[in-house]
Amino acid sequence: MPATQRIHFQEELARLEEQALGALDLVVATLDRTLEALHHRDIELAAIVIADDDRIDGRYLEVHQGILSLLALQAPVASDLRVVAALLHVIKHAERMGDQCVNIAKLLPITGHEPPVDAEILANVEKMGALARSEVSQAKQAFLLRDVALAEDLVRQDEEINQLNKDCFRRAVEIGNDPDVREWAMTMMLVARALERIGDNAVDVGEQVAFVVSGLFREFSDASHR
Amino acid sequence: MTGAQIAARAAGNAVIPRAAGGHRAFAALFRALMYGAIGVSALALVTLLYDVARDGLPKLSVDFLTSFPSRILPQTSGIQSAIYGTLWLMVVTAAIVVPLGIATALYLEEYADRRKWWNRFVEVNIQNLAAVPSVVYGILGLAFIVRGPLSLGRTVLAGGITLALLVLPVVIIVAREAIRAVPPSIREASLALGATQWQTIWKQVLPGSIAGIATGVILALSRAIGETAPLLVIGAAVNPRFNPDGLGSAFTALPIQIFAWTQDPNRDFVDLAAAAILVMMVVLLLMNSVAIFLRNRYEQKW
Amino acid sequence: MTEQRREAASAVEPAPAPAPGARPAPRDVIFDVDGINVHYGPHRAIRDVTLDVHLNEITALIGPSGCGKSTFIRCLNRMNDLIPSARVDGRVLYHGEDLYGAEIDPVQVRKRIGMVFQKPNPFPKSIYDNIAFGPRVIGMKGDTDEIVESALRRGALWDEVKDRLDANAFGMSGGQQQRLCIARALATDPDVLLMDEPCSALDPISTGRIEDLMIELKQDYSIVIVTHNMQQAARVSGMTAFFTVELHDEGRSRTGAVVEYGETDKIFTNPDDKRTEDYVTGKFG
Repeated sequence: MPATQRIHFQEELARLEEQALGALDLVVATLDRTLEALHHRDIELAAIVIADDDRIDGRYLEVHQGILSLLALQAPVASDLRVVAALLHVIKHAERMGDQCVNIAKLLPITGHEPPVDAEILANVEKMGALARSEVSQAKQAFLLRDVALAEDLVRQDEEINQLNKDCFRRAVEIGNDPDVREWAMTMMLVARALERIGDNAVDVGEQVAFVVSGLFREFSDASHR
Repeated sequence: MTGAQIAARAAGNAVIPRAAGGHRAFAALFRALMYGAIGVSALALVTLLYDVARDGLPKLSVDFLTSFPSRILPQTSGIQSAIYGTLWLMVVTAAIVVPLGIATALYLEEYADRRKWWNRFVEVNIQNLAAVPSVVYGILGLAFIVRGPLSLGRTVLAGGITLALLVLPVVIIVAREAIRAVPPSIREASLALGATQWQTIWKQVLPGSIAGIATGVILALSRAIGETAPLLVIGAAVNPRFNPDGLGSAFTALPIQIFAWTQDPNRDFVDLAAAAILVMMVVLLLMNSVAIFLRNRYEQKW
Repeated sequence: MTEQRREAASAVEPAPAPAPGARPAPRDVIFDVDGINVHYGPHRAIRDVTLDVHLNEITALIGPSGCGKSTFIRCLNRMNDLIPSARVDGRVLYHGEDLYGAEIDPVQVRKRIGMVFQKPNPFPKSIYDNIAFGPRVIGMKGDTDEIVESALRRGALWDEVKDRLDANAFGMSGGQQQRLCIARALATDPDVLLMDEPCSALDPISTGRIEDLMIELKQDYSIVIVTHNMQQAARVSGMTAFFTVELHDEGRSRTGAVVEYGETDKIFTNPDDKRTEDYVTGKFG
C-alpha cells in the first residue's frame, strides 16, 4: 500500500497554497516599495506601485479560479476543505492589502515634492509601516507553518499599530491650526489609516490559520475592544 | 412499548406471527413421502444387486474373465471375447464421437448465427435425436452402415459408428454446456487483446471447458457400453470364440453376451449372465468414478 | 538613484498571470470521430457522435444509464463487430486512418487499442500467463520474461506479485485483478487504453489506486474512460463528454447522443448546456 494516494490532488492543493501565499509575498514587496516611496517622496516609484497592483489582482483571479476548479473536480473534505476555504479568504485579504498600498501610493503626489513635515507624525507613520510589513510577513509564515501561536502574536503588533494610529490622530489635531501643515497632516492620517487596515487584514489571515488548524473560526480580538 | 407491540396487543396477536399448526403437519407429511420415495428406489436397487450377486458371485473367477464362451459347457465359458469386443467398440465410438461432438458444439456455440433458420433447425434436431430410442439407431445402422451405401458388414467399425451416432447428441449437448459455462467476459478479454476467434477458442474456451467435456464424454460412453438393442439389430456375433482382430472383424459385447446367456434354458448359463452383469457394473462404476474425479479435480469454477 | 531603485523594483517581477479566458494551445488528436451512428437491428443506439479524442489525455464519457457510452467506446476498438446485429455508420479516424476501412482487419485494430472491462476478467491461468497471453497470440517479438515484467511495472503491480508469478490469477483480490487486467492490456504495447467503467466493481481504496495509475499512464498512453461516477470523471479526466438519452416513440425507444464535450474543468464549473448543468449538479439523470 503506498503511503499516500491522490498524489495529483495533493500536488494541486500544494500548488494552490503556494500561489496564494505567494500573493502575500507580492504584498510585502509592494508594501516595501510603497514605504520607500513614502520615505523618499518618490512619485515615480509610487506610480509603479499603482501600476503593479494588476499583478496582485491577476494572482487573485488565478487563485480564485484554481479554488473553484479544485472544489468542483476534487471535492476536498475535512482539513483539505478548510485549507481551500481559508485560501479563498487569504487571497481576498491579499488583494485588499494590495489595494491599500495603492491608496497610499495615490496619496503621495498630493503632498507635493517638498511638503512641510512634522517629525512626530512622520516617525509614527514610518513605524506603522514597518509594523504592517512585519505583520504581513509573519501572517504568511504562520499560515505556511500552520503555527497558531505565531498567528495570535499578530494581535500584539496590530494593537501597536492601532495605538500609533490614535497618536497620529491626536498629533494631527494638535498641529492642525497651521494651514501649511494641516493638509499634509490630514493626508498622513489617511496613509496611517490605510496602514492600519493592512494590519487588520494580516490579523484576519492569522484567524484563518486558527480555522485551518482547529476547524473553529473565532476573532482574535473583538473590534469593540479596541 | 413499541408501536409493533401496541398494535399486536390490540389485534390480539403475538408480535411475531406464529405459523398455523397445519403447516407443520404438512411439512412433516411431505418429508415422509420423500423419504418413502427414496426408500422404494433404494430398495429396488438393493434387491436387484442382491439377486445378481447371489447368483453371480460364485461364478466369478479369473478363468471366467479369460475364457471364451461355449454353447455347451457353462463351466468353461467366459467373457473374454465380450470384454475385448466392448473395448474395441468403446475405442471406435470415442474416436468418432469426441472430435465430431466437440466440433459441432464449438460451431453451434461460437460460430453459428442464431438468427439463421438452418442453425435453429440443427439445434432443435439435436434435442430430438437425444430422445430417440436406441433400437432405431440399430435399424439405421443396419440399413445404411452394415448394408446399404456403406456396406461395412457386421463389423466392429459398423458397431462403433452406430453407437457413435447414438451418443453423439448427448456429447454435443454436454460439450455445449461446458463451452457455454466459459463466461463471455473471457472471450471478450481475449479478443480485445488482439486474438483471433480461433485463438480464443483454442487457448481459452477449450482449455476452460475441457474438464466438463471430458466428464460428459465419459458419461456418454458409459451409456453406450450398456446398449444392447442397436448391437443386436446390426448383428453382433453371439458366443464367438475369438477376439476382434481389426476394424473389419466380427465382434460381440458384454450386453450381448449377457442377453444371450439369459435366454438359455440352462440355469447355469443364467448364473453366468449374473456374473457378467457384476463385471459390467464394476466397469460402469469405475467409469463414473473417473468422471466424477475428473470433474471435482479439474472443473473450472468461474 | 531613483532610476536604479525603479529598475531594481521592476527587475525581479515574475511573468504576469495569463488573462482568464485565454485559449489553450491546440492538442494533437488521436481519434477523429465524425457522425457515428450505431444500430442494433432496427433500433438506433447512438446518434451522430462527433468529437476529437486528444493524444495523451484522459477523456471521460459520462451520462445516465442507457445513454450509449459503452456502445460508443466499443466503436473505438471495433468490439461492436462481435455483435451480429450491430451496425456502425460514420467515420472514426485513428492517427488519420479510417478504423472501419474495407481493408482494415479488426484483429489488427485491437492490437493497438487495448480495453479494460467493468468486471475484472483475468484468465484462469497464472499471473505470468495472463500477461504473456496477449504478446504470444499477436506474435510479439522479444523476451517474454522482460515483456511480462515491463507490463507489470507499468501497471503498478510488479512489486506485489514479482515473487508469485506462477500463482493463479483468480486468487487475487478484485482491485489487484483489475490492475492485472490493465497490465495485461498494456503488455501488447498499445497506445490507447479504453476503459469501460473499470472501477465500478471495486472498493474505494482500489478505485483510488487505479485512478492514480491512470494519471501516471496518461504520459505515455491516451485513455478513454466510461464512468457513471461523475466525481471520478472530475478527478482524473482532462476532457469530458456528456451523453444523454433521447426518448422516441412515447418512451419505447432510447437513443444516446452527446450534449456537450469540452474541458473537464469547464464542464464541472461552468457548462454551456443546461442539461449538462442539471446532470452534474445531480438535479436529474
